[in-house]
Amino acid sequence: MADQTYFEDVSVGDSIPTLAVTVDPTQMFFFSAATYNGHRIHYDKTWATEVEGYPDILVHGPLQAALLARAVTDWVGADGRLVSYAIQNRASAFPGEELRFVGTVTAKHDADDGGHGLVDLEIHGEKGEAEVLMPGTATVSLPKRG
Amino acid sequence: MKNERRLLKNSTDQRMRVSTEESLIPPQASKLIGTEQARATGIVEKKQFQRWAAAVKDRNPLYFDAGFARAHGYRDVVAPPLYVQYVTLGVTDQATLRPDGTPGGQSGDIPLPHAPRRMAGGETWQFHAPLYDGDVITATRRVDDITEKHGRSGRFVLVTWLAEYRNQDDVIVAEARSSMIARP
Repeated sequence: MADQTYFEDVSVGDSIPTLAVTVDPTQMFFFSAATYNGHRIHYDKTWATEVEGYPDILVHGPLQAALLARAVTDWVGADGRLVSYAIQNRASAFPGEELRFVGTVTAKHDADDGGHGLVDLEIHGEKGEAEVLMPGTATVSLPKRG
Repeated sequence: MKNERRLLKNSTDQRMRVSTEESLIPPQASKLIGTEQARATGIVEKKQFQRWAAAVKDRNPLYFDAGFARAHGYRDVVAPPLYVQYVTLGVTDQATLRPDGTPGGQSGDIPLPHAPRRMAGGETWQFHAPLYDGDVITATRRVDDITEKHGRSGRFVLVTWLAEYRNQDDVIVAEARSSMIARP
C-alpha cells in the first residue's frame, strides 16, 4: 500500500494511481470459488463461446468491481475509508487483457467530525484504447493532518 | 403520426412507446415490486474474507494483519467493504441450477420467462461500519422496481433491488441498490 493520503493534500482534478491488472483463468477460478459462483461463462469456454457467443470466458463483473474498489482503497490508505461506491457494468473483459482501474478527484467536502474530510471521485475500469468497462463514482473519507 | 415517430426514435421508456407487443413482465413478477424478497443470515469469517481478498490480489494489511489494523483504530482485521454481499450466501442445490450454472430455484429469482438472458446492471453501496470476524450479518433484500425499457439493442427488463445489511447489534453496516438487465 502507498503512504497515507491526507485530505489537505488532495485537489480537485488529481488522479489516483492507476491499478493495472491482467486477469488470468487461475485468478478467475479463485474468484468464482471465493464467491461461490457457478456461472459457466466464467470457466466453461465452450459454453461461453458456442452457447453465449462470446470470444472467450468473461472476467466477472464483481471481480472488476473489486479491483476498481482496490484502486480506491489502496489510495485512501489505512486511515482513510471507502464511504460510498457506485458502478455500472458496461462492457465485457476477457482473460489476458490488461485492465486499468483509474480515478480522478471531482470534489472535496469538510466533514463535521473534524478529523476527516470527504472526497468524491470519478472512477472507472478500462481496457485497450480507453474503452470504458465500468464507469462509477466513489466517496472516501480521508484523515486531516491537523 | 410525425410526432409519434419522433418519440419512437428518441424514447428509451416504454410509456412513451406505442406498442401492441406483449409485456416482458408477467403479473407474477410485477407483484413482487416493493416486497421483501430475501432475508438471510451469515457469520463473517476471517478466512473467507481473506480468501476473497487474495482472489482479488488485494493484500491490504487491514484485512490480514491484526496488529496493523489495531494501530489504525480497528479492533481486529476488517473485511474488505464489498465482501459484505457474500457473508450470507447460502447452499446451492446443483439440481436447481439453470443450464448456465446460475442459481435458478432460489427465492431471489424474478420470474421473467420471456427475458431469460440476465446481465448485471449496476450497484451503489454505502458502507457505514466495519465487519469483523464473528459478526453475524442479516441481509434483507426487497424489489425496488421492475420496468420494461427500450434501448438501442431492443427491449429489456430493468430490475432494481434495495439491500440492507445489519450486524448482531442491529447496526446497519452497509446498504446497496443493485440492478439487473434481463433480455429476451
